[in-house]
Amino acid sequence: MSALVLSGVSKSFGGLRAVGGVSFEVPEKSIFGLIGPNGAGKTTVFNLITGVYKHDAGSIRFGDHDLLPLQPAQIAAVGIGRTFQNIRLFGQLTVLENLLVACELQKKAHLGSALFRTRAHYDDDAAMHTQARQLLDVFEMSEMRDEASTSLSYGNQRRLEIARAMMLRPKLLLLDEPAAGMNYGEAEGLKKQIRWLRDTFALSVVLVEHNMQVVMGVCETIHVLDHGETIAHGAPEAVRADRKVIAAYLGEEEPEAGPGAA
Amino acid sequence: MHKYRTAIFVAGALVVAMALDWALPVLVTDGSVRQLVMLAACNVVVALSLNVINGMAGQFSIGHAGFVSLGAYTSAVLSGNMHKWLGGGDATLARSFIVVPACLLASAAVAALFGFIVGLPSLRLKGDYLAIVTLGFAEIVRLVIGTAQVGSGGETIGQAMSSGGALHALSVAVSKLGGQNGYMGPDGQGLPLYAGPFWVLSVTTLACVAAWRLKFSGWGRALRALREDEIAAAAVGVDPTRYKVTSFVIAAIGGGVAGGLIAQMRDGSYLVNPETFNFQASFDAITMVIIGGSGSVSGAIIGGIFVTVTVKAIEQLQNTSVAQLIRGPHMLGTFELTVDLNALRMIIYSVVLIALMIRRPEGMLGERELGQKRPGPRPKSEPAVT
Repeated sequence: MSALVLSGVSKSFGGLRAVGGVSFEVPEKSIFGLIGPNGAGKTTVFNLITGVYKHDAGSIRFGDHDLLPLQPAQIAAVGIGRTFQNIRLFGQLTVLENLLVACELQKKAHLGSALFRTRAHYDDDAAMHTQARQLLDVFEMSEMRDEASTSLSYGNQRRLEIARAMMLRPKLLLLDEPAAGMNYGEAEGLKKQIRWLRDTFALSVVLVEHNMQVVMGVCETIHVLDHGETIAHGAPEAVRADRKVIAAYLGEEEPEAGPGAA
Repeated sequence: MHKYRTAIFVAGALVVAMALDWALPVLVTDGSVRQLVMLAACNVVVALSLNVINGMAGQFSIGHAGFVSLGAYTSAVLSGNMHKWLGGGDATLARSFIVVPACLLASAAVAALFGFIVGLPSLRLKGDYLAIVTLGFAEIVRLVIGTAQVGSGGETIGQAMSSGGALHALSVAVSKLGGQNGYMGPDGQGLPLYAGPFWVLSVTTLACVAAWRLKFSGWGRALRALREDEIAAAAVGVDPTRYKVTSFVIAAIGGGVAGGLIAQMRDGSYLVNPETFNFQASFDAITMVIIGGSGSVSGAIIGGIFVTVTVKAIEQLQNTSVAQLIRGPHMLGTFELTVDLNALRMIIYSVVLIALMIRRPEGMLGERELGQKRPGPRPKSEPAVT
């Protein structure tokens, strides 16, 4: 059973074909790596899955849902959480508030009950705070809950983004370069955290990452993109040995390549 | 226990407002000062409602006077006709319990409808572009009312409906609003001023409570999150469309209610005039929000009062020796230097705003409330109670 199925997904921006006919399946409760050189279209694939862009061709299915007609907020509602390559937190809001925003979906009480402060409002509020506190504990961020999120260190901002996505109780978590800027030790910690999240919350994780230490260490399946097209797919060992992958990352020896050719 | 506390608070507030209804004319004998107090209260509602768009949602509306104008005209037309229907005479407090709620509800409904229409472009437009849309809306409202031809052959709205259809009836209806001269009720006798201190102060209090509760609810939090980052907010399930349009509708309702109060305010004017709701009025509303601190409820209250009082103070200044000195005969003999009070007001605002931008770029309070601390570095020890 697959959690997420992409088949023949394409997206062009004007004349530029950012993603061309990409197909892959993310098995349930697996950790799936999406890698490729810069500009390969990895983040575009994330944006297509989460509805920030709409694909021109192909289909993206999540469980029983076709994601094409859904808006980003609705896609979050069916259980897809994500983080961003360049961290996108709600800067002026505190750490706790950043998490609470992600609870809006689960609220049963509407605007009127907030105005009249009905029972439903207080019940919702209490439930949201409990869930947020638990997650802050899990991510060891409880002490900073009243700090403005912009005042956090870079690593903590990355963790807060993951915690915020987890507030959705997602079935699928998309992580866009979570290890960017981390040192060896922090990256090792991240690997543990990703596995722990998957095991504890029984979710699937799709990881876009350049840090090969993390990708090779944690992913069960890896899909490699280059120039928007699939060049390899398989287990980490197989992908690592793939000639096309090596060529994409390191460049091929081309006798006619002149000086300065990248 | 909690229920009782709320009930006691509401009852107490009502008693105080009712007492003020009676006591204000006794305590404050100067009608113009009473008018100032009431106008300040109405402007607090204006500031609170604009704060939802400009502060919390982070959009930029420069046409809030349009909503206030719609509310004022709706309330004026309805109260004038209700007053006529009730048999004229004095605008008594007893009658006000029928007239004021009905008028305010109508004002809120009309403003909400237009808030929805103006809110829709906010989905695609940002910043300057949205500002232009809101400005355009306010100017359209002002110009349509101001330029509608008076005296289209004494045709009633009913006759117009049968002769020329709905659109013709609408234009006849608008032309009956008095155009540039202002609207003075169905018979031109002046508007009934039903909203005494009781209504003005309790509605203002209600608006303050509502604004506070909205800000400190999940809805307000989501709106602020949307302001910070729309894509990230959508990614955690906050639908930008719904929240943005709702924020516009809520702000419009507040503006409409404020206008409805202004039109009927006791000690106020017996007419509503389109020029009251010009760009200057929209700009004043923005000044109120910015001075107090965008996003802050208590800041909007302070800003609303401050701006209203400043306007009045400058008017007072006109008659003092300072103004006389500037105005009086100069060395040039008969030459008189006239001081444009509006210009003086703009100078004072500009100086205040510039000083504020240097000292406190986010307004007096920023997004915080009175007595609230800025979220800062974490405290050394964990507070005992969570």
